[in-house]
Amino acid sequence: MAIGVGVAVLVVILLIVGLVNRRNDGPRFVADEVLAPAQRKPAPVYSLPVLSAGGTVRPVGSQLSLANLRGHPVLVNVWASWCGPCRDETPVLEGIWKRYAGRGLTVLGLNVEDVTDDAVAFIHKYKLTYPSLRDGSQKTKQQFGYTGVPETFLVDKSGKVALYVPGPLTPADISGFDQVVNPLLKT
Amino acid sequence: MKRSLLLLLALALLAVPAVAQALTVNEVAREVRCVTCGTTVDISTSGFAAEVRTKIKQEIDQGKTKQQILDDLESQFGRQILATPPKKGFDLVAWLVPGIAVLLGLAAIPFITRAWARRRPKAAGTAVALSDDDRRRVDEALDRLGDA
Repeated sequence: MAIGVGVAVLVVILLIVGLVNRRNDGPRFVADEVLAPAQRKPAPVYSLPVLSAGGTVRPVGSQLSLANLRGHPVLVNVWASWCGPCRDETPVLEGIWKRYAGRGLTVLGLNVEDVTDDAVAFIHKYKLTYPSLRDGSQKTKQQFGYTGVPETFLVDKSGKVALYVPGPLTPADISGFDQVVNPLLKT
Repeated sequence: MKRSLLLLLALALLAVPAVAQALTVNEVAREVRCVTCGTTVDISTSGFAAEVRTKIKQEIDQGKTKQQILDDLESQFGRQILATPPKKGFDLVAWLVPGIAVLLGLAAIPFITRAWARRRPKAAGTAVALSDDDRRRVDEALDRLGDA
């Protein structure tokens, strides 16, 4: 009897904890989450090889740094071909790239922890048109502070990180993207 | 019949070294570090490790040697991909220092034991250096024992 009551109490506690910590399905690109300019830290500016070309990021094989892209905001997405969530979020990133490229925003993949051939095959398989750099030796890991894949950073025109979004991007995440990116495109 | 058996035996003997020397995925994988989890790729269950094992398999099938595969991985990921430092350049220090430390330790043993041996007589001398008062008390105690 006492054990039964104990189990019932435990189940109720677990339910309460689960409800309190339930996943936030709201958008993660919200204006309130954007850091104030004074709080932003510089994004890494190492020269990295271009894995796939797109926009002004070209040609494949050339060296490019985020410093070369200053003057425009850049949405940096850290990814690897073996990562399932990275695959799932590609339509979201492709959608942002197609919608905002003409307005000055660059979507830039940052391929890490990956075999080059597999990364290139991934780009072709999912028909990605936004460019990617390759960081095989994880030069940027410490400065960006990413801990896994996928993770996304919105870098402002001056090369500083304005917003950090861990985990895969979903369509729900970007419902407020206009409110976040428009001020960065203007300033 | 006997000749056929001998021929088969000879062929089997020729095949043994080839099988024994064949490069396996794990043989290479245990020298490769999983950059996402820190363990070696042969025991890691991460997606990255699975990807690297597939690449190792492909390169073995292409006839590449272990060193060629490791060099290829190092060119893609830098030295961090190697589980052990290469035996060249500055990294050679990591291999030499432990051996040098052991040799220095062995070489120091005669000097240390000699120093200990020299210290021992001094210790004995200190033990017999009794004060006059102590010596008198010892003599008295011995006298009492003699009387008993």
